[in-house]
Amino acid sequence: MPEQHEHMITIRGLVNRFGSQTVHDGLELDVRRDEILGVVGGSGTGKSVLLRSILGLHGPNEGTIKVMGQEIRYHEPGPHKKWGVLFQDGALLSGLTVQENVELPIALHSDLPIDTRRELAVLKIFMVGLDLNAASKYPNELSGGMRKRASMARALALEPKVLFLDEPTAGLDPISATEFDRLISYLHANLDLTIVLVTHDVDTLFGVCDRVAVLVNKGIIVDTLDEIVKHPDPWIQEYFGDPRAVRARKAAKSRVKT
Amino acid sequence: MDEFLTVERQGGLLQINLKDHWVFANVNTLQQTLDEIDPGVENRVRFVCGGLKDFDLAGAWVLYEKSMDYEELDIETEFDGFKATHFKFLQHIIDIAAQKEYIPGFFDPQPSHYWRNSIRTIGENTIEAVDSVGYIARSVLDGIKRPSRLVVGETIHQIHATGAAAIPIVMVVCFLMGIVLAYQSARQLEQFGANIFMVDLVANAIFRELGVLLAAIMVAGRSGSAFAAALGTMKLTEEVDALRVMGLNPNQILIIPRVLGLMIALPLLTVFADIAGLLGGAFIGATVLDINWFSFTERLASTIDVNDVLVGLSKAPMFAFLIAVTGTLRGMQVKGSAEELGRLTTVAVVQSIFLIIVADAIFTVVYARIGF
Repeated sequence: MPEQHEHMITIRGLVNRFGSQTVHDGLELDVRRDEILGVVGGSGTGKSVLLRSILGLHGPNEGTIKVMGQEIRYHEPGPHKKWGVLFQDGALLSGLTVQENVELPIALHSDLPIDTRRELAVLKIFMVGLDLNAASKYPNELSGGMRKRASMARALALEPKVLFLDEPTAGLDPISATEFDRLISYLHANLDLTIVLVTHDVDTLFGVCDRVAVLVNKGIIVDTLDEIVKHPDPWIQEYFGDPRAVRARKAAKSRVKT
Repeated sequence: MDEFLTVERQGGLLQINLKDHWVFANVNTLQQTLDEIDPGVENRVRFVCGGLKDFDLAGAWVLYEKSMDYEELDIETEFDGFKATHFKFLQHIIDIAAQKEYIPGFFDPQPSHYWRNSIRTIGENTIEAVDSVGYIARSVLDGIKRPSRLVVGETIHQIHATGAAAIPIVMVVCFLMGIVLAYQSARQLEQFGANIFMVDLVANAIFRELGVLLAAIMVAGRSGSAFAAALGTMKLTEEVDALRVMGLNPNQILIIPRVLGLMIALPLLTVFADIAGLLGGAFIGATVLDINWFSFTERLASTIDVNDVLVGLSKAPMFAFLIAVTGTLRGMQVKGSAEELGRLTTVAVVQSIFLIIVADAIFTVVYARIGF
């Protein structure tokens, strides 16, 4: 019964065109409260465009997008205090330390005294598994994994309700990637968070997500992992039939059992 | 005070009932409200959260900090009636606070060693400057010994970008400068009825100093900044490293063409600058001062010899060298951040213009001494 769920994000009739090429045609999507939704799709199916449309960074040709009841319009202020975004390569401001990067949104959106601001930032930095040593460094002095964590701390700075992750594990080694997956699960379990993550990583998909949204044929198919692997669409069959995906699925299942 | 909590006191127990939204947006008010509570004589505090509608990490943190304050005053604190999710947040803060003990010095203000740091910075910058100049000089030498075919094409490209593309703007600026010079000198010369000497003044100033100087300053602004920004971005995006691992000497294909290109382009640009300056003077002579084009050229031929033109042109390669080396050097020094890129681009332009003017002063003094 989908009516029972409160929807954090609703998308209706989204159309995105680039010249003569239509990427999304009447796409509809509901993201439920407290779920982790994984978005997958082949190259050029518009994963990034979808994410950018939701964030108000791209103006769709048609359709309405609502995040927490607020309609998103291109280039207009969205619910900035209620969402956090982790960009693919972190997008930390390179001229500021990690600490200052995390403090920045707090400073922008509140009038807290400096001490409080600092304490809250440190709290978030610890939360994502970094220490004070890392907090005082500049982004270019950190490894890729640490930069992602720092960026995560910044995304969490304002206690968001919705978290968007763009390719959270891209460019990380398998160990860091697994740790990052764990961080995502940990944050989801401990905070009131709805997470939308765009990913290529099948391990993340099977290990973390509650539901999966697959972008195919200019639309979107959303279902739980167990159901979606049975979907007849050829791209879905190919994607989840791939040996890597099969292995990831088995691994995720065995993890649940133990 | 009633907005977020109510207080009950009963025989040694201070009970604080929390309600409403204990969230990030209210942190300031929450802290103030809690601070307003007078612990009084009670030695036990109980936080109860019956009416809590919303609670997040920031709210939990405020609560935890307050409880720590009470503990320091030897007041026992306890938490009661928290829902599981609320308690999870609190537990979190407590765990995290435990971790924080590791580096106690982090929050203390560091003593500032202003003078010591300034002197150290000067020293470090000097060493770095000497180091990079030496490094680049060596690779330039390498590059000259083993020239690459890429250099030729790239040099031609640079001549076009820094020279040919700058012709219109440089000519406009010099034309206007010619007009200004003609007007200003004519105003003084009119008093003696010696209008014709305006030609001497304009021609000497343009040929010997202003033509090359204006061209060099325009180029420093256009190309010096472009060099620094382009090389700086290439450093940031690891393109320079990519060239190196492909076995190309990045200094050879990035620096030599720019230095060489500009040293060829600027003298040529100076010729255009000189022409435009003269045209500006002649234009004002013909339209305002009753010196027609014919008498202008006649006077010009008798007052200027080839040495005057060469004085200006001989400075151009030196100025070009200064601009190109400063720009590329600063660009190559960029590391780390976009901020750094902006800073070093500014430094490149300011320093190259400064160096141009210093060099010009030296040239003028030396030429005056040797009678050139």
